[in-house]
Amino acid sequence: MTITIDNLVKTFGTSSALNGVSLEIPDRSFVALLGPSGSGKTTLLRIIAGLETADSGHVLFGGEDVTNRPVQRRNIGFVFQHYALFRHMTVAQNIAFGLTVMKRRDRPSKDAIAARVDELLALVRLPGLGGRFPSQLSGGQRQRVALARALAREPAILLLDEPFGALDTKVRRELRGALREIHDRVGLTSIFVTHDREEAFALADTVAILSAGKIEQFAAPREIERAPASEFVRDFVI
Amino acid sequence: MARRRMKAAVTESRAVRCALILIALAWLALVILLPLLAVFSQALARGSRAFWAAIVEPDALAAIRLTLVTAIIVVPLNGVFGMCAAWAIAKHDFRGRDLLTTLIDLPFSVSPVVAGLMFVLLFGANGWFGPWLIAHGIRIMFAVPAIVIATAFVTFPYVARELIPLMSAQGKAEEEAALTLGAGFFQTFWHVTLPNIRWGLLYGILLTNARAMGEFGAVSVVSGHIRGLTDTMPLHVEVLYNEYNFVGAFAVASLLAALALVTLAAKALLEWRHRDSIAATGH
Amino acid sequence: MTTASALLAPAGPGRRPRWLRRRVAMPGLGLTLGVTLTWLGLLVLLPIAAVVVRSLGLGPAHFAAVAFSPRALAAYRLSFGAALAAAAINGIFGLLIVWVLVRYRFPGKRLASALVDLPFALPTAVAGIALTAIYANTGIVGAPLASIGLRLAYNPSGVVLALVFIGLPFVVRTVEPVLADLGQDIEEAAATLGASRLAVFRRVLLPEIMPALLTGFALAFARGVGEYGSVIFIAGNMPYKSEIAPLLIVTQLEQFDYEGATAIAAVMLVVSFAMLAVINLIQARERRWRDGA
Repeated sequence: MTITIDNLVKTFGTSSALNGVSLEIPDRSFVALLGPSGSGKTTLLRIIAGLETADSGHVLFGGEDVTNRPVQRRNIGFVFQHYALFRHMTVAQNIAFGLTVMKRRDRPSKDAIAARVDELLALVRLPGLGGRFPSQLSGGQRQRVALARALAREPAILLLDEPFGALDTKVRRELRGALREIHDRVGLTSIFVTHDREEAFALADTVAILSAGKIEQFAAPREIERAPASEFVRDFVI
Repeated sequence: MARRRMKAAVTESRAVRCALILIALAWLALVILLPLLAVFSQALARGSRAFWAAIVEPDALAAIRLTLVTAIIVVPLNGVFGMCAAWAIAKHDFRGRDLLTTLIDLPFSVSPVVAGLMFVLLFGANGWFGPWLIAHGIRIMFAVPAIVIATAFVTFPYVARELIPLMSAQGKAEEEAALTLGAGFFQTFWHVTLPNIRWGLLYGILLTNARAMGEFGAVSVVSGHIRGLTDTMPLHVEVLYNEYNFVGAFAVASLLAALALVTLAAKALLEWRHRDSIAATGH
Repeated sequence: MTTASALLAPAGPGRRPRWLRRRVAMPGLGLTLGVTLTWLGLLVLLPIAAVVVRSLGLGPAHFAAVAFSPRALAAYRLSFGAALAAAAINGIFGLLIVWVLVRYRFPGKRLASALVDLPFALPTAVAGIALTAIYANTGIVGAPLASIGLRLAYNPSGVVLALVFIGLPFVVRTVEPVLADLGQDIEEAAATLGASRLAVFRRVLLPEIMPALLTGFALAFARGVGEYGSVIFIAGNMPYKSEIAPLLIVTQLEQFDYEGATAIAAVMLVVSFAMLAVINLIQARERRWRDGA
């Protein structure tokens, strides 16, 4: 699904987080929001998700204005920085949560939900771990559960906030490949936030580089390396 | 062992330690333990039969019933209020949030007698709403409604005070995750927030209940002391005591002391089993 | 544009007035804040307003006459003096108990710690008659003390005794977490610098726990000033001698002297709020100092 971001402005108190940001993200692309901390990248992701509201500007999904649509009805999947798994639920209950809170007439049957959970566990390569609690999992496993949970309602858009930030280098590499594979297989439009240049360039089709609430450059990694659009981009990526 | 010996290098000598422990324990015994034991020993001073007779006496039973009714009304109300206040304050950011937090604490610092007086000024015969209430035949003052309202005032902050620090510390990430998965407010609260705060909530409710059943000053002002009708257990204790019926007074008091002990035991159990999921508050 | 057409206008983000726009994703603020403010307003703010408005209605001269009558002044002196003395005693013994509970290991420690909380849970009237039973001249502790001429009940020292009981957990529970969080390393550092044990305590530990100790002291004092149930049984309740301010309010209400009761209540409310402000100030300064460090 295409995502159109039209001139978003957001201020917190007196400091401005987004300073008129516009982006056009094509269907099925994999985009990285890259920038130093405080550049507004997480704010932008949260506004796309509907977790924050912009002061002005619009967000469109597939040409449809969703600026005032609450987060519950945007049909996005969101992977939180520290995963935000529900501590008191098992892995299976975590993954099923999005399905079990659906209105009764839309909700799949118990068996269908169980089948979907198994399917997702297989997708993230954690078969048979449905009965564990999050506290019994490694960091990499928790990240996979968070991903499976976000995909349960078959969102067209997947948003990830520093998805590998809390993991060590080896696990990070492994999960990167898995995420890219799932993105391609499911046919998602994905946006992830990172401050790691190498990660952004290795994983994304297109990278948006943010600084002080503005987009400095939005292009393919190779293009950015070939022709950095500004002094800031040159310093940041090279 | 090495560790402990190392620790001992910067601690007091054994004699000083023993002396300090003895002074502390002696003080606790004199100030707290002895009065507690006195309640039970005085209640049983004339044997268990006299104790039992004092409790099944009709006025005592009426007082027990009134105390239970009051708690059953007040505790859920302040529980719901506490959860609402904690959700608003801990999960949201709005102007005046700090002021609201301070206002919620107000009843802690108001003397119970002053609290009772406030409701006399509102609902008494010369109060703001008194004449209107009398004209419409509604009894609040010197009746059960006033007792309930005064008790609600005194126990107002307990649940909120317990939940606000707990829910603030837990952050918003799990709730936001539930929202992105399509859950609405009640679903998020019920499935995600409530399981995370249940022990803290239970603790707050236990404290509220202990205070509600034991409140004396505020209830004393608004109750009117009508024996068998508007005397709660603590008020009944006072009446019996002033009549020099010490066994009766201490018998009813021992029930309240037992409630206090159960509350403390539950608190100790919660702290031991669920240390992470209750907030340490000073009240 | 009229109000009606503004309300009917399409709900584009540009058109909506700022306050109508959904500002946050987290739901339930309207409902929960509404419940909170309603309950707070009806149960707490409205009654407090009643006292304020009624006492303002007395006029300054009349208010001063009833709020500061000789009997009322004697009652304030007792209430504040006894609360101050009790808070001071609790400051000393509370600190000692915290020290022992946090730093030492001994049999029965868990029980001792649980006992500290009893005054929070025990109804005040029960505490009052129990203290009287023990410390009255016929009581198990009171009798021997009386034989050497020390009478603790039915006079102002009885008030202090009751307030010591009521206030102890405020000091202990406020100081305890601060002392527990204080690492052993600063003490060790001071010791390596040649400081004696007492010097370490006075120069290193005490300054660190002072804000918490002050907060606990202020909480115990604030609670003691308004305390009623535990005091009236042991105080003796003689006007001008052993009559606390809350009791004077009750007495005047029983004599239908609403003006006198309201004026005294207003004075006590002002003191309570001042204490609350002081406590908040101590805690805010402490927090700012810690965040800055």
